[in-house]
Amino acid sequence: MRAFLAFLLSLPLSVMLMGLLAAAVPAPWQSWLVLQLLGVTLLWMLLVTLVALPERTWPPLVALLVMNGLAWGALQTTALYGGGA
Amino acid sequence: MKADRLRRFIDLHAWLGMASGLALFVAFFAGALNVFHHELHHWQTPQATEAASQDAIDGQALLDRVTDQYPDARKRLFFLPEEDPAVMWFQSSDAGAGERGAGEWLTAHATDFDEAGKYVEKPRSALADFINQLHYQLAIPSGGLPINLGMTFMGLISILYGAALFTGLVVHWPKLRKEFFALKHEGNMRRYWKNMHNLIGVVSLPFHLIMSVTGAAMGAFTLVAVVLGTLVFGPQLRGVIEEETAVWPPVQSQGENAAMVPMADYLSAAADALPEMSVDWVEIRGYGDAAGWVDVAGSVPGYVGHHAHVVLDPAMGVLNVIAPGQRSLNFDSFSPVYSLHFGDYGGMLVKGLYFAMGLLGALLFVSGNVLWCERRSDRQGPSRGSAFLLRLTLGLCFGVVIGVACSFLVSKGLPYTPWAAWVATAERAVCGVVVVLLVLWSLRASPLRFSGLMLMVAPLCYLAVPLLQVVLEGGHALEADNLLINGLLLLVASSLWVVRRQFRKRVRLAEPHPLWVGKVTQGHPKHLTETEREAVS
Repeated sequence: MRAFLAFLLSLPLSVMLMGLLAAAVPAPWQSWLVLQLLGVTLLWMLLVTLVALPERTWPPLVALLVMNGLAWGALQTTALYGGGA
Repeated sequence: MKADRLRRFIDLHAWLGMASGLALFVAFFAGALNVFHHELHHWQTPQATEAASQDAIDGQALLDRVTDQYPDARKRLFFLPEEDPAVMWFQSSDAGAGERGAGEWLTAHATDFDEAGKYVEKPRSALADFINQLHYQLAIPSGGLPINLGMTFMGLISILYGAALFTGLVVHWPKLRKEFFALKHEGNMRRYWKNMHNLIGVVSLPFHLIMSVTGAAMGAFTLVAVVLGTLVFGPQLRGVIEEETAVWPPVQSQGENAAMVPMADYLSAAADALPEMSVDWVEIRGYGDAAGWVDVAGSVPGYVGHHAHVVLDPAMGVLNVIAPGQRSLNFDSFSPVYSLHFGDYGGMLVKGLYFAMGLLGALLFVSGNVLWCERRSDRQGPSRGSAFLLRLTLGLCFGVVIGVACSFLVSKGLPYTPWAAWVATAERAVCGVVVVLLVLWSLRASPLRFSGLMLMVAPLCYLAVPLLQVVLEGGHALEADNLLINGLLLLVASSLWVVRRQFRKRVRLAEPHPLWVGKVTQGHPKHLTETEREAVS
């Protein structure tokens, strides 16, 4: 259950973190989409490891959920969704 | 590192490995053979068909006939300029496909036409395609869904695999040098197998890192793109992906016709535009349409990301050239992902290395699963779970190894029988049946006896394939690509024989773990693993 949730919640977080990076990098996000894809897969692997590692089950999962919320909030301040670079 | 932290890393590494190990075994074993996909295509062609190809029409006549007889082929087709040229196209369901299958990709070879010039479908082995599908989607059918289920599943498995590599790296990094020289048994065969698992993992770590990242990127592409579009970029992402990965925009037909020039002229125009490219295939969109285009695709040797395209208009004008040093960052990043995964960037030497690493990878996963089951039983006492997983591992792994060998035997033997028309179906069916039967058998049999028997049968199966080809086709078995594939199959047979020898040595020198003889009792002692003991001390 813990591994499943870690696996599930790590994907949106890694995607949103990569989105924040795309917003921060001064280059059109369209021009390095493949690198973003590779970055998402690496981040996803890393997050699954970090969340599944601690001895206690719920604190890392709750932290993951909170991080997802924060990343989503931060993404709303960018013009990426439906917009340009 | 503190002992409890190290132990958590070990536990996570073992759990992730166990969760992904069986699927990865199938992918690596089939992937090792799939490195020689092109050569396997030649191997699967029976001698009689190759002889007929000498009297076949040429590639241009094939192209003309297919585009005349099948209007769907004019929308989009792939031309493969090989010894026996082939044309592939998508036959849509509303195009009056007649007796040919509608709603699927069709392939016509130059040898597939009768004297009247009418297309006559001939049964052909599809072994290379089956091995390829077994590699990247475990041969799981998608059932008409918009997403490739098997491929996405393998993408998710690759994420777990990558996480297992991270944790394995943390566990083994501090004693990397020691483990490099640790392959000795000193009377302790269990330790020998554990050392072998560690050694293979350490030696092939860069290869596994490449496989996990590129496998995850390709397998989970659709899923990641959907989440990326939903959360970050919005619906515009789909159009951007199409734009950034297409060699030229889709055809916007104005209904104006254009005369197509012979294929040889397109190839020569592409050679003028990019002289160092060797051609692999040609894609034509809008055949005979003034807005159509011809993509001559191939490789530029000397680069890891070697893929190249020359896009021409119907009158041979150069529309676009995509090659190393002349392409966007997206193409520059994507090309190495493909070539690093498939090992097609460094000739036979790199292909041979990928083949060896693939087989070693398969051994790594099966040994990892066996060690996990034994360790779990040692630490937590007897459990049905450990016994079941050990038996499932053995049944599935031997099932796939022997099932694939049976597919090879069917591919070579069936075309010479009255059931030749069923060859493509039989290749898949026999593998599936063997896997199911051996899994069921392994769940009932003693693992020790089952493994002993399977390790005797499996090498003989791989030895039988080249022998069958020699018997049926004589000297044809010794021609370039056939010789290579037969040599690889003999290498697989020898590798399995070496595993058999080591397995028997383990049985002879060390008392078998109770799990292997189905006698896990409460009295069975619990003990820490080597790594854990070292960490504690």
